[in-house]
Amino acid sequence: MRLSLAAAISHGRLYRRLGPSPRARLDLLRNLVTALVRHERLEAPWARADEMRGYAERLIDYAKRGDTDERAMRMANFWLTEKDLIHKLFKVLAPRFQPHPGSYTRLLQIPNRDGTDRAKMAVIELKGNPYPPLVRPRRDSDKTLLNQLLKGYREDSRRQAAP
Amino acid sequence: GPALAVQGPACLPEPAEDPGEGSGVPGLLGSVLWMAAPKKRRTIEVNRCRRRNPTNLIKIKRNIDVCPECGNLKEKHVLCGHCYAQVKAETRQIRKEMGKKEGGPFNAPTVETVVLYEGEKPTEKDEGKRIIERARKRPSWFTQN
Repeated sequence: MRLSLAAAISHGRLYRRLGPSPRARLDLLRNLVTALVRHERLEAPWARADEMRGYAERLIDYAKRGDTDERAMRMANFWLTEKDLIHKLFKVLAPRFQPHPGSYTRLLQIPNRDGTDRAKMAVIELKGNPYPPLVRPRRDSDKTLLNQLLKGYREDSRRQAAP
Repeated sequence: GPALAVQGPACLPEPAEDPGEGSGVPGLLGSVLWMAAPKKRRTIEVNRCRRRNPTNLIKIKRNIDVCPECGNLKEKHVLCGHCYAQVKAETRQIRKEMGKKEGGPFNAPTVETVVLYEGEKPTEKDEGKRIIERARKRPSWFTQN
């Protein structure tokens, strides 16, 4: 009989506890968001990258409103500590993501960190960045059994339809 | 008469007190030192049961695959370490070129960026973008769109 609960139940908590205090957590995430907007690809511990993702996507949603919007400008002013990135956000990222309805970032796990802590690391990037792609899209090979059978079926139906 | 007079306490402390029960649970009478200790030696059979039960053994990973690009081993839900190191090194070189172009800090550009390798011309899609030149052949895993 299991007398103790599993330790990983959080019952509806949305925010992780990072850093020494809630204000420190926001400052940490703010630094990460600034770095993401500057460099468009970032390597960080998975928990921090996951936490930061939501804030970054909401910031881009605010930026899509345009830079005349007072609320959007105040948000960008708080979240981006380096003020030249506010220009980049409104002039480069907002037009780039205008056609997309959501999910402007991509979060992928990478092998654990090489230090003694072996932390779970992730790479988070904005879609449409100029760097080489992290994951190459793989086309299905023609040599698999299923594809060979389908090819044969297609050729047979073509031969029957031709005369 | 007396050479020196010193103020003293009204009643002197009695020297016949216990030296204090700082060790162990306070409040127990007698100078018995009380701490938890094993009563009997754990036999090797009991030790083996504890050390070898399945929850304490290292779990076998069944999610290891071969990366189709380079052939190294990788976990199924994780990026391949070798391929990611390649991409990271190339990104580092691109960022160095970008730094050289921008000059100082805090000069983020207000236009998009495109990376061109040796012998490539900007297409009509790359109009209005800042061009970063890389002095090498285009790698096979970085397709130009």
